[in-house]
Amino acid sequence: MNVISPPPAQQAPPPADVSRALRGFIADVGPTVALSLESCVHCGQCAEACQFYVQTGDPRYTPIHKIELFKQTYNRELGPFAFAYKFFGLAPALTTETLTEWQDLVYDSCNMCGRCSLICPMGIDIADLVEQTRHGMYQAGLAPQDFLGAIAEKERATGSPFGLTSEKFRDLLHEIGAAHGVEMHVDEPKAEIVPTVSSIDVKTYPGSMAAIAKILNHLGQPWSFRTDGFDADNASLTAGDRAGQDAVTQGIVAAAISCGAKTLVMPECGHSFTEMRWEAANAYGKDLPFRVLHITELMAENIQSGKIRVTKVKQTATYHDACQVSRRGGATAAPRVILAALGVDLHELEDAGDANWCCGGGGGVALIKRAQPLRDAAFAIKKKQIEASGAPIVYTSCSGCRQTLDHGGKASGWTTTVGSLLELVADNLAS
Amino acid sequence: MTLLSFARGPGMQVASLIFIAGMFWRLFGIFLLRRRVAHAAARHPFPIRLLGGAVTIFTRTIPRRTFWPRVGAGVALSYVFHVGLFIILFGGAPHILIIHEIFGLSWPGLPRGVIVIASGITLAALILLLVRRLTHPVLRLLSKPDDYISWAIVFLPVATGILLSGETIASYGTLLALHILSIEALMIWLPFGKLMHVSLVFAGRFVLGYNFSRKGAAT
Amino acid sequence: MTAADENLGEMLARRGFGRRGLLKFAIAMTSSLALPPGMAVAMADNLAAAKRQSVIWLSFQECTGCLETLLRTDSPTIAALIFDFISLDYQEALMAAAGGAAERTLRQAVAANKGKYLLAIDGSVPLADGGVYSLTGGKSNVSMLQEFAPDAAAILAIGTCAAYGGIPKAHPNPTGAVGVEDVITDKPIVNIPGCPPIPDVLSGVLVHFVSFGRLPALDDRKRPLAYFGTTIHDQCYRKPFYDQGKFAKSFDDEGARQGWCLFELGCKGPTTHNACASLKWNDNTSFPIESGHGCLGCSEPDFWDQEGGFYTSLAGGTGPGWRDAGIAAATGIVLGSAAAISARRNAPKGTTET
Repeated sequence: MNVISPPPAQQAPPPADVSRALRGFIADVGPTVALSLESCVHCGQCAEACQFYVQTGDPRYTPIHKIELFKQTYNRELGPFAFAYKFFGLAPALTTETLTEWQDLVYDSCNMCGRCSLICPMGIDIADLVEQTRHGMYQAGLAPQDFLGAIAEKERATGSPFGLTSEKFRDLLHEIGAAHGVEMHVDEPKAEIVPTVSSIDVKTYPGSMAAIAKILNHLGQPWSFRTDGFDADNASLTAGDRAGQDAVTQGIVAAAISCGAKTLVMPECGHSFTEMRWEAANAYGKDLPFRVLHITELMAENIQSGKIRVTKVKQTATYHDACQVSRRGGATAAPRVILAALGVDLHELEDAGDANWCCGGGGGVALIKRAQPLRDAAFAIKKKQIEASGAPIVYTSCSGCRQTLDHGGKASGWTTTVGSLLELVADNLAS
Repeated sequence: MTLLSFARGPGMQVASLIFIAGMFWRLFGIFLLRRRVAHAAARHPFPIRLLGGAVTIFTRTIPRRTFWPRVGAGVALSYVFHVGLFIILFGGAPHILIIHEIFGLSWPGLPRGVIVIASGITLAALILLLVRRLTHPVLRLLSKPDDYISWAIVFLPVATGILLSGETIASYGTLLALHILSIEALMIWLPFGKLMHVSLVFAGRFVLGYNFSRKGAAT
Repeated sequence: MTAADENLGEMLARRGFGRRGLLKFAIAMTSSLALPPGMAVAMADNLAAAKRQSVIWLSFQECTGCLETLLRTDSPTIAALIFDFISLDYQEALMAAAGGAAERTLRQAVAANKGKYLLAIDGSVPLADGGVYSLTGGKSNVSMLQEFAPDAAAILAIGTCAAYGGIPKAHPNPTGAVGVEDVITDKPIVNIPGCPPIPDVLSGVLVHFVSFGRLPALDDRKRPLAYFGTTIHDQCYRKPFYDQGKFAKSFDDEGARQGWCLFELGCKGPTTHNACASLKWNDNTSFPIESGHGCLGCSEPDFWDQEGGFYTSLAGGTGPGWRDAGIAAATGIVLGSAAAISARRNAPKGTTET
């Protein structure tokens, strides 16, 4: 069943809108962002943490360089010495040309993975600054249309990156339930646990929805998918559409509240977790009335308390951390709890856990067609590390990573299997 | 009025006042921007977040082991400079004397020979750092006039200090005047360029540590 | 031959000092003047043949300390005898004449030695209010200086007051005191600063002039290089302690009693040019540092007004003070707050971030 609309036809994009870019840059600057923008000492360490610089040697991919336009705009408009910057021309004003020149630095070559933020000796959260920069770039019309920008627009228009309607989703869920022999709960008026999905799962890994259902049934608490707030993808976030980002988030929050949810469960996905766990309450304006957990956190928590029981598997495997869940999200431990409970012989990757390398597809880069060479370059690091681990399987708990590893693996002809941790648990529940 | 009496008098007054005003100006300009309350449920309570912030100030001094192969040499060279400067500033008798004259604090200084060696190493490190900045592709792309001005304005006090300590090239009075004037230049420049990192490094690491402790994420 | 006609050699022989004694003196002097040793013989010969050198000494706004220091000798020395010979034709404190007789003495001395006398000045020259703050016989110092300088061979500005203005020039300088060199610009001037100067310095300059007919080599402040070419610090016997970092922290503490360096107690030795550390005072007995007090820098201009005073070390100076620092901080806060408020207004109020 094809639920995905084709991307729009390629047109010559209009020239970058400078005044909109400027307003987009300066809209969301508070003390933390300002401190970050003031602090850089040009030490160059961030470049050494970034997969794109490390693999290509191109200094333009230095993370702090990617946000240069944002920084200069801040200096001219919002900084403590803004009047001097303007009066003495100490920082260049934005132009269409420079904005366009920076497009691939802000989008194609940044996964917002946060390794740079981990290394910066001044404590600058550079990954966050890239996200902020995208706000201005999006306003200028510079989100790459093929196809991140197009998907974000579709999401804003329809609520789903691929135009999946509530009705279609409801049908899909029931189909999946029937196909896998799993009891589906959809749009229940009352539910304690509300799971969400990633559009990549809808498109490519529909089995994950069955897996969630299986685990939640096993858990035994009242749960339900909500078709009025299901798509956690938030392509708008990675495109830099602040309004679209908020709309998606608020939709999910509203759906969870409407059925009295105690727990909102984020799917195997990276940025959706970051957004709902750490940003949603701010968009909502006050504390959320429910907990937000990544699916691995839900599983780990309940495995530890004994509410989810699993059988042992005889497998040797390694694990790829999703940047947004582990390093950026604080949920690094959960997958290890699960893998240990399953008895997997875990061969950790070099730099596993908080310092891991991004798969190369995160932060919307997987949705930028022309960024393929860059993704391939980043993937080469993972391939080397995964093969060095000696494990035939790599598990992950993010469909974006899963897809990127799948594609990269196939293109490079490896023999490693890429698996989903969620599906592994679902397949090994003790009855 | 001689150059020396200018440096020890009006020069010191003006430089100190600009330094103080500039520091407060820049810090308040940053911290009074519109702040948003974070509503997302924190993983750790406030005291732990504070501790996380404070600890990050120290843990960020050394990069994570995983980064050492790529950044180790540069970081080490930078530390040779910073530690050398620290030894000169806080171990050198005339500097301890100034601190005593302003704040009333005092401690034993290091032997002159140690300071001499540290000064030479610091100077060499500074020169190597400049060479690095001029030749490394990333640093060449990133570097702006601020980087080079800041380098020169730190280099001059170290160099004039060495000459003064060696009592060579010019008269003691002239060397002392130049040394003090070069420090006054540094004080005037500091709040406005990248040398502000002397204060921002603590603020930035603390804020990142605090915010990431909130998330239970790696700092 | 009358006393007025005899040369120095004859005068000294009359009092029992032969050629050998004169040679010994010349050897000591060439060393003191940092001249090549070979010049001692020439100096001795020239001195022996020298005629009376007229010196007219005018005291201006002074404390008489410079004159007193020159008279402080424990026993007659050859230097003292030289002073006898140079015919101090006019000196208000020492001469017998007074009032109108003194004025006549001065005019006769000037007339008799026109173009050849050395004009020695001690004390500063007050200029404020027409120079009324220091008068001799109703005449201001500045007018006397301007009257008698043109006919002098050279001017010796003795003591820091005459050289650079000295204590009277200290802030707020109510008398408008200046040094001789600020009034007379067209005559050779030798500054012999010090508060007071070392007596041997004056003898050295006079001997040089009498021996060779010209003034010794001077530095850029017109001081004889032989005596002011090095700093106290350069010659100070406590320099090893400076080098070792052994400093007295307070007067009469353990370090002070051990004779440690007095840098931290405000010694200005490193920036003070004089011969105190080598020639010392009272016939080479001691000098201030040896007696336990830091050098005041009294042979340098404006030493009285130096930043931080006598007891602030060279490493320190005059900072802004806590009150002014507080005002600077407040100014910074106001400017920073204004910038932040302006920024808040500037930014479109949207979904404000961290």
